[in-house]
Amino acid sequence: MSEYILPVLFVLLFIYCIYKRINTYDHFVKGARGAIKLVVEIFPFIASILIAVALLRVSGITDFLANLLSPIFGLLGIPTELCELVLLRPFTGSGSYGILESIFTTYGADSYISRCACVIMGCSETIFYVATVYISQTKVKKLLYAIPVALFCSLVGTILACLICKVM
Amino acid sequence: MNIFWLMMMLASIFVLLITSPGAVLSSMISASTDALSLCIELCAVYCVWLGIVELVEASGLGEKLAKFLSPVIKKIFKVEDKTTQKLIAMNISANMLGIGNASTPMGIKAMQALDDGSGKANFAMIMLIVINATSIQLLPTTVIGLRASAGAATPADIILPTLIVTFATTALGIFLVHSINKIISRKKRKNQ
Repeated sequence: MSEYILPVLFVLLFIYCIYKRINTYDHFVKGARGAIKLVVEIFPFIASILIAVALLRVSGITDFLANLLSPIFGLLGIPTELCELVLLRPFTGSGSYGILESIFTTYGADSYISRCACVIMGCSETIFYVATVYISQTKVKKLLYAIPVALFCSLVGTILACLICKVM
Repeated sequence: MNIFWLMMMLASIFVLLITSPGAVLSSMISASTDALSLCIELCAVYCVWLGIVELVEASGLGEKLAKFLSPVIKKIFKVEDKTTQKLIAMNISANMLGIGNASTPMGIKAMQALDDGSGKANFAMIMLIVINATSIQLLPTTVIGLRASAGAATPADIILPTLIVTFATTALGIFLVHSINKIISRKKRKNQ
């Protein structure tokens, strides 16, 4: 069902453009031109955060932190199997999708752990990635309380996800 | 961000210095190779979405969407400027449809429009980051797709729990940013 949504929206958009007498090709090219420039500008930011995350994983610090934090996570009702996902989710999108897939293969896609992991993925974002990339083209150096609030909301979301998956 | 990044780098390199010093440079380079291939992928994705966005804007749909969402955006972000409202509206709509990659270029543009040059993030910028971080998704398309390919019996049964949690955290985020902003401006008034 959901695979119909975007194609239908695209068709409606093109029909609307015909109705408004807009040169669709010219405008599409004009918009697409911005992509390369944008990617060139954000590449150094993406590379720097991915380098730091890779080092954290290779050095075993994430595993160490996951072990260290698992009693606290246990208290909050978060299964210890999800520690690595919860810790890396704020940093890397592709990395956390990798962890999600390994959770599927280890515990089975229909298990409680996997369903928790899915809901956590759906209600959180790669906070540090979003924050760095979004402000990369501005003069902003200080994000003030943005990151702490975002992380706190994600943690609440994680706890809520583990709770809801138990009853639903 | 500077201190945070430095801490991550120093701690891991320090540990690796003891365990396997040879892995430092190789994993840094392989990570930046990953970043490059991610950027090439993103470039392709942005190409499609920025093209579509240009059509949305040129046809006047962007303005309609912004007009439709502007009462909410005005209230949440306290932004009066029409172009900024439009960018925020498109960023949030893309998020809702679960096309996260499409929302990034609009988010960057919205941030540029909101920037006041003071070097500090203002209220609306913080709000945009927090709302993006709690990711108001109506359809977690990628997750459902992955779960289906992993052989789940009912891959879509996570939609409702995800919706509940995502709405709760977004509401919490908006509430927290508003309350912290109120406390800070009250303190500033007292100090004057």
